[in-house]
Amino acid sequence: MSIASMKKLSVIGLASEKKALMKSLMRLGVVEITTQEGKMTDEEWSRLVSLDGNESAVSEYDSRLLTIEQALDAFSKYGTEKKPLFQTRKPVKRNDFEQKLKEKEEIEAEAKKIASLSARILELNTEANKVEANKLSLLPWKDYDIPLEVQGTKETEIAMGVVPSVSDVKEFEKDLKEKTERCLVELVNSDAEQHYLFVLYLKGERDEIEDVLKLYGFTRTTFSDLQGSVASNIEAFDKKLSAIAEEKERVIEEIQSRQGSREDVEYLHDSLIIERDQAAIRSRLLLTKKSFYLDGWVPRIALDEVEKLLKDHGCYYEIESPSKDEETPILLLNSRFNSPFESITKLYALPNSKEIDATPFFALSYAIFFGMMLSDAAYGLIITVATFTVMKKFRLEGMAKQLVNMFLYCGISTIFWGVMFGGFFGDMVSVIAKTFFNSDIVFKPLWFEPMQDPMKLLYFSLLLGGIHIFIGMALNAYLSIRDGRLLDAVFDVGLWYLLLIGLALMLVGVAAPLAKWMSIIGAVGILLTGGRHKKGLGKVIGGFTSLYGITGYLADILSYSRLLALGLATGVIAAVVNTMGSLAGGGLKGLILFIIVFIIGHTYNMLINTLGSFVHSSRLEYVEFFGKFYEGGGEAFDPYSEKTKYIEILREDK
Amino acid sequence: MSIEVANLVLNGSYLAILGAAIAALAGIGSALGVGVAGEAASGVVAEDPKKFGQALILQALPGTQGIYGLLIAFIILQKIGVLGGSGLIDLTIPQGAYIFAASLPIGLIGIFSGYAQGKAAAAGIMLISKRPEEIAKGMVYTAMVETYAVLALLISFLMINGVRI
Repeated sequence: MSIASMKKLSVIGLASEKKALMKSLMRLGVVEITTQEGKMTDEEWSRLVSLDGNESAVSEYDSRLLTIEQALDAFSKYGTEKKPLFQTRKPVKRNDFEQKLKEKEEIEAEAKKIASLSARILELNTEANKVEANKLSLLPWKDYDIPLEVQGTKETEIAMGVVPSVSDVKEFEKDLKEKTERCLVELVNSDAEQHYLFVLYLKGERDEIEDVLKLYGFTRTTFSDLQGSVASNIEAFDKKLSAIAEEKERVIEEIQSRQGSREDVEYLHDSLIIERDQAAIRSRLLLTKKSFYLDGWVPRIALDEVEKLLKDHGCYYEIESPSKDEETPILLLNSRFNSPFESITKLYALPNSKEIDATPFFALSYAIFFGMMLSDAAYGLIITVATFTVMKKFRLEGMAKQLVNMFLYCGISTIFWGVMFGGFFGDMVSVIAKTFFNSDIVFKPLWFEPMQDPMKLLYFSLLLGGIHIFIGMALNAYLSIRDGRLLDAVFDVGLWYLLLIGLALMLVGVAAPLAKWMSIIGAVGILLTGGRHKKGLGKVIGGFTSLYGITGYLADILSYSRLLALGLATGVIAAVVNTMGSLAGGGLKGLILFIIVFIIGHTYNMLINTLGSFVHSSRLEYVEFFGKFYEGGGEAFDPYSEKTKYIEILREDK
Repeated sequence: MSIEVANLVLNGSYLAILGAAIAALAGIGSALGVGVAGEAASGVVAEDPKKFGQALILQALPGTQGIYGLLIAFIILQKIGVLGGSGLIDLTIPQGAYIFAASLPIGLIGIFSGYAQGKAAAAGIMLISKRPEEIAKGMVYTAMVETYAVLALLISFLMINGVRI
């Protein structure tokens, strides 16, 4: 089984040893410490112990970390350093790590400075937005030349404002003049939405004027805080904007000039993460006056090391196996070939602790399916070389490493199937030979060419599908037997095996009488046993519905026809690209066209079909295979460890 | 006049080319599907530009129907000699009609499945806006729709492959 077996660990130690032990446990990084909230609600426990934990220290670390993250963000946003394709942790020896952090205070001051610079940029941006908005609201009035602070004279009053563009300005003026001759209307500007108007009238006649203004939906615009002419104000705004832009430029330059300290800040970030986690874990410890208590999970393979550590710190501990129905945290352990495919399992869901890890059972089939669907030796070669280079060049970890590694295997499988089916950029070899060299060289398939005999490949695909589904059913049977439900294994899997194998043999026409009886026994058996968990009439109906499930198996197996269809798609699209490329014939002109079409066409074809192969291989595993036995839903094992982001602290050699 | 039209329409080669055209119509489905997914993607990327790559992957998924249609159209054109240099072969009316019929599955199913897959992809893009780590699930839900386009491609291909010329 490739789920690591977990042991339950309970530890009691002296409070004086607590700090040192927690530090070493973190470095070891193999113990998941469980929360104790459940115990604290228990009267018996809460009388004896209290929760350790120091929330305020944790939140203080968090706020310091926030500042540092802002500084690091500022570096990646405004810095000039080239970002690597993958972010990887830098391996560093513990001594060097601690050495580097000797000047912690200085680094933190630097980080604070950078964070404040970055905050300044935000401030400047908001300010610039505000000025910009003010400027925009003034722009339509740029031809209005009365200083803005002038609201009228002793006898007159000015109204600046807008009416919707649907209203007719001439009508508006006419209506006003009808009320009183002694007024002045001027159209300052118009745009798609509104007319900008200036109205001058006598103070005494305000009420009459107001009536007309209301009628036309006149909205007054005021610039109460501005002085001087519109033009001079706009000029002032422009000046302000360029001053802001200049300052922003300066601040960015300052951040750039400090980017040499980026690495130091990253070290500080990681060391604070470690300290924060050490403070945070205390909320999972229980305390009495002189001792502490913790419990958690340890993978069995790491038990020796943990025991040694606990003994060194003079702790009393107990190790138990979990009871049968207990959910344990899940850690997957697989061989070197299988482990990259854990990523596919994780993308679905981790297994729960009562089932088995599906990874070793589908790793090979995943690679085969992927290869058959892409089925082009050249594409496979590109994927293989690309992933191999990435693996060599970057120190990838975790999921990214697994995915890249998985694509490496899938690439190799693609090369294999490409050679079997004779695909190298589709039919490029023969097209080039024919167009440019007038010869008949072809990239001969080792097995056969799917375009020539698609039925053969269809049968082969369905056969693979049948085997794949049978493996899934076998795993289901294994789980049933392991849990002591032998009858379930016989009825739910054994009978189906009989029926499906019998039907398949009948279809092919081999061992006719035997096949017939196999099918009949299987079908009748399913009919009789399918409803055994139901009551009354359900027993009868259950049998029929179970047998009707045969349509499901049919659909499952036919689903594998996509292996043929997607394989053809890659090959034919590649052939289309090659044909288009060779349209101009041989010669230099033809060669240029061919190269252009070749690069664009094959890049596109490779990307879209790699995506398709990835998605459809996953689907075959998730739906057809996992559907037979897999539930998932386990919690990942999350050990108390140094969860650094930028630096990987190497363990001391032993 | 009407005889000329009848000669044109009831003509094996014409029917076969019409078949290729119908197969290529599967692109309608992809265009609609990719469009729907793209609208959703823009909405999500507006909130978080870092999700561009993930959203793009999901948006690309409904694009395959168009490719399948192209593929069948290409195979038809190659079979009747339009592509490949030998020139258009004279087909009997039944031969043309068979090829025409064979193009229907991918042409029709491509349109509808492409659109439906686009909607599933758009929903998947909404999924990654909240939970980017679950992109694989969104992809699988989207790929469930594509199954039917794959089956249509397969059946169209097998039919055309079976027509003797």
